[in-house]
Formats: sequence, structure tokens, C-alpha cells
Amino acid sequence: MATVDGADERYSSLQRIGEAVGFYGAIAVLVAVSFFPVVWILLTSLKQPATIAQFPVEYVPDPVTLENYRTAFEQAPFARYLFNSFVVAGSTAIIDVVLGAMAGYALSRLEFRGKLPILLFILVSAMLPYIGRLIPLFQLFRSSGLLNSYLGLILPYAAFQLPFAVWIFQAYFKELPDSLEEAALMDGLSHLGILFRIILPVSAPAMATTAIIVFVYAWNEFLFALTFMTQDEMRTITVGIALYQGQYTFPWGTISAATFVSIVPLVLFILFFQRKIVRGLTAGIGK
Amino acid sequence: MPSALDRSADDPDGPSGARSDGFASGVRTRFERYRNLQFTDPEIAAMLLAPVVAYLVAVSYYPIAATIWTSLHDNALGLRGPPEFVGLENYRSLLSNGSFWNSLKVSLIYTGVSVPIELALGMGIALLVNRRFKGKFVAQAAILFPWALPTIINARIWQWLYHGEYGVFNDMLLRVGLIESPYAFLAHPTSAMAAMLVVTIWKTSSFMALILLAGLQSIPEHLYEAAEMDGTSRWQRFTDITLPLLKPTILVALIFRTLPAFQAFGLPYGLTGGGPGESTTTLVLFDHRITFSQLAFGEGSAAATVITLIALAISMVYVSTLYEPEVR
Repeated sequence: MATVDGADERYSSLQRIGEAVGFYGAIAVLVAVSFFPVVWILLTSLKQPATIAQFPVEYVPDPVTLENYRTAFEQAPFARYLFNSFVVAGSTAIIDVVLGAMAGYALSRLEFRGKLPILLFILVSAMLPYIGRLIPLFQLFRSSGLLNSYLGLILPYAAFQLPFAVWIFQAYFKELPDSLEEAALMDGLSHLGILFRIILPVSAPAMATTAIIVFVYAWNEFLFALTFMTQDEMRTITVGIALYQGQYTFPWGTISAATFVSIVPLVLFILFFQRKIVRGLTAGIGK
Repeated sequence: MPSALDRSADDPDGPSGARSDGFASGVRTRFERYRNLQFTDPEIAAMLLAPVVAYLVAVSYYPIAATIWTSLHDNALGLRGPPEFVGLENYRSLLSNGSFWNSLKVSLIYTGVSVPIELALGMGIALLVNRRFKGKFVAQAAILFPWALPTIINARIWQWLYHGEYGVFNDMLLRVGLIESPYAFLAHPTSAMAAMLVVTIWKTSSFMALILLAGLQSIPEHLYEAAEMDGTSRWQRFTDITLPLLKPTILVALIFRTLPAFQAFGLPYGLTGGGPGESTTTLVLFDHRITFSQLAFGEGSAAATVITLIALAISMVYVSTLYEPEVR
């Protein structure tokens, strides 16, 4: 069986097995506690309405039905909500990658005065509470017709995550060797040429990290989405699920199905981009 | 050493497919040299930074200023004629509103209880997974998953787990004999608050662990080896080496968690609706309600200003503590 790497040979094999069992027991608890709520949602979504409202609880759905998924996508507009979330989160990620790379490049690889004040100006905006920006933006967007538009969410989301994007890019660009630009300068490339032809092609990891984390933030946001999207067909998935009401009883089966579908992209994200997410969330820590 | 000469000599014999490309880029390089060489570092920096700074002024800083302005006016929306300057009138009515003080208390309890527990649990998880082992991929996915789950959807999920009639928690507790009949967790003030705390601790402890893990990995291994040779215990090594060296990371983790916890909105909105009564109504939920349901924009802006000031004060306390080790 698997043993913990680096376990010393002086240990008796019994001790080693005991330690491995304890360690993997703890990991198993961690995994079970983390995934239990979603496993339960999946099981609920596969049950028939009659067995959902049943006590004692039936743990394994029998018979298994996809009825709830059909309801979620035919009778309720959850497909539309998912589409809205994709548009908003995707656009937000693109804007922050572009603006973050621009500012990050200037702050890490150009010489000019006032660098620190500008960096602070950008980073401090991340500490301002969202509610302090909500009310005026609501008034502004209402008078300019941006409520119930994708742009009405993309603009604030991209601004709120911009400090993070700038931070990631300037930290990444700082690590690149100076020789990169020296050679390019000698070849007669301008600064902008260096940015577009030399720096950007090698900054794919920073772009991916920024895009993924900004996407997850925009996908998950609720306060602004709830306040700005008052028309049903413009709601994002978070607002759609939060405000979904059944006609007679609270539709836990439909909600569970919609919830599970909305979680699948996140799980795939995590599985594919694990390392990039961890690097992004912990950028600059422990250095 | 690369030079323009080398490059032009290379081009004709370059790898297949690179030929037309090399020619085009050669022309473009010459063109850009004429067009762009006159720019200096500060000029380029200004070009790159101006849109970013202007954007943040418009969407982050201006709204904060406008919130403060609105908080000092009556009829700020101009619905009933021109706005009228009323000084601190909105603040006076806010401070005499019992619901405001209640929500401040709820938010302080919510933050004060959840963040330290998250720190302790996060430290435990970080120490547990800070080694090489088979299946680390799965463990890390389990750590990232609660972070990635939208707060409001998570609230809905737990509302179902806590359900007073058909909830799985009630079923489990009944089966092991801890309760005798189903309990409506979300219908009593104390248990509703406790239920809400459990959810946020579940969701964010692993995020704490991720931050702390990054700090743990930067502590040099040889420090532990030396201490181990001196015959110190594991606990001694934790308190003598790990904790002091981890202090900056702990402060970062605290600031990352305290600010969002103090601004909690989605969780009470989706889990309890702020109830029963107002027992789980946090500051932001209270503010959102008086602003967008009661349309008290002046008082709502006053509350938003107070929240902003408290959040900035929290950041300042943390940052001043955090900066100390770097100055020395």
C-alpha cells in the first residue's frame, strides 16, 4: 500500500502503516467534507419529486430520473442564465488580461517617477467595500441605460478585479530576465514592440492565471448582479438560482439540477487549471 | 551576439515557413523604429497606465466619493426637485436606527468568530498537506472546490442540507440518536447564526490553508533538520520556527478573509434571508435593504460610508502591522 514519502526506514513497518493510515484517514475526511454538499445536490437532483420530500431521507435515488434537469432547462430559463454568466465572466476576464498586462508591464519594466504612488493607487482600490461603490453606480447606470445590460456588470467587475490582474502581471514581468529587452533593444525594437513581440508571447502563464481567477470571481458575484439585472432574461446564473421560485412548493429538485449544472464548469476549471489557480491565489506570498 | 546583419543573413536560409514572415517583420521593425523610437520610458508608461488609472477613478474612486456626497444630501436622486444638503442628518437617523446597530453586531460576531476558526482549521489543513504524497491532486481539488463555489449557490445548497423537515443533517442526527425529532436549524436565532458560521467556515478554511501553505513552503527545510538534530519536539519546532516565520503570511491571510467576512451579503441572503427576525442580518444586507427596498438612498449611503470607513480602518491596522518586518 501507499506510504508517506520520506518515511524513515528506522521506523518499524507497523509504525509506518499506522502513520499512513492516520494521514490518509485525515485526507479522506478533508475530501469527504469538501465534496459532500455537492454529492448531496447531485443525489437530490436525480430523485423523483415524491422521494425528495420524504423523511427519513432516502440516500440513493431509486428510481433515478432526469426529470429535474428537463424542468430546469425547459420550463425555467437556466440555459439563458448560464449563457449570460459566460458572456459577462468571459468579457471581464479579457478586459482584465489586457489592462492588467499594460499596467503590469509599465510598473515592472519601465523607469519613471511616481511608480509607487500609482501602484498604491491601483492596489488600494481593492480594499474599498463593494457596497460603497454600488449605490452611485446603480444611479449612474440607471440614467445611462446600462442596467440590464452585459456592460453594466462587465464594467464594475473588470474594475474590481483589475488590482489583482495588475499585481499578477507586474509580479510575473519582474521575474523575466533583463537580457530579454537588452537583446531586443539592440535589434532596434521600440518599447511597444518589446511589449507586443517579446514580453506578451512569454506571459501566457500570467494571462491564464489572471483570466481563470477573474472569470471565477465574475461567475460567482451576486451583489451587483442582483441589483443591476432586474429583468429575468438578463439574470446571471447566481441570481437565477437565488431568485428561482416554484409555483406551489419550493422546487428543490429543479434547483438541485440547475445548481449541479452550474457547478460542473467550476469543477472542470479546478481539475484542469489547479496549479495555475493556486499560483494566482498565492502570488507574492512567502517571498 | 545578434545584430541586424545576422538576421538579414539568416532570413533566406531560415527554417521553412519563416521566410515571408521574417521579411514582413523586418519591414515592420524598420517602420516601428522610425515611428516609435522617439518615445521615452515615462511617455510609454503614461500611455499604458492612463487608461487603467482613468478606469479605476471612474468605476472605483468616483463612486466612493459620490456615496459620501449622497450621504450628506436629502433627495439625492433628484426625484422631488433638486437635492438638498442636510449635513449629518442621514447619519443621525442611521445611528438612531436599531436595525443598524443590530446588523453591526451581527457582522462583528460573524467576522470575529469565523475568521479565527478559519485560521486554525486552515493551519491544520496546510500542515497536513505540506508534504509529498500520492493523491495530492485529489486533496488539492478538495481544497480549491469550496473556494470556487459561488457563495449564493452554496447558501442554497446548505439551506437544503439544513432543511427542517427533509434535511439530510436532521436525518443523520436522528440516526445517530443526537436529536429525537427534526430540528429547524434556520428558524431559531442562535442556531441560525451557528448554521451560517458553519457554512462560511466550511467555504473559506481551505482558502486560508492555500495561503498558509504557500508561506510554509517558503520556510527553508534545513531549519527543521537542524532543530530536529537538537532533539526538539514537533510542537517546539512549530512554535519556534513555523509560527514566527509564518507571521507575514498569517497577516495576509487574515486581511484576505476579514474584509470579505465583514461585507458578507450573499450567504445571509441565500441561507436565512437575514432571519429569523433580524438575527442574521449583516451590515451589507441591512444596507442593501434600506437602499433598494425602502429606497432610503441617503441613509443607505451613510451606512455604506460607515462600512467603507470601518473596512479601511481594518486594512490600515493590518497593513501597519504587516509593514513592520519589512522596514526593519
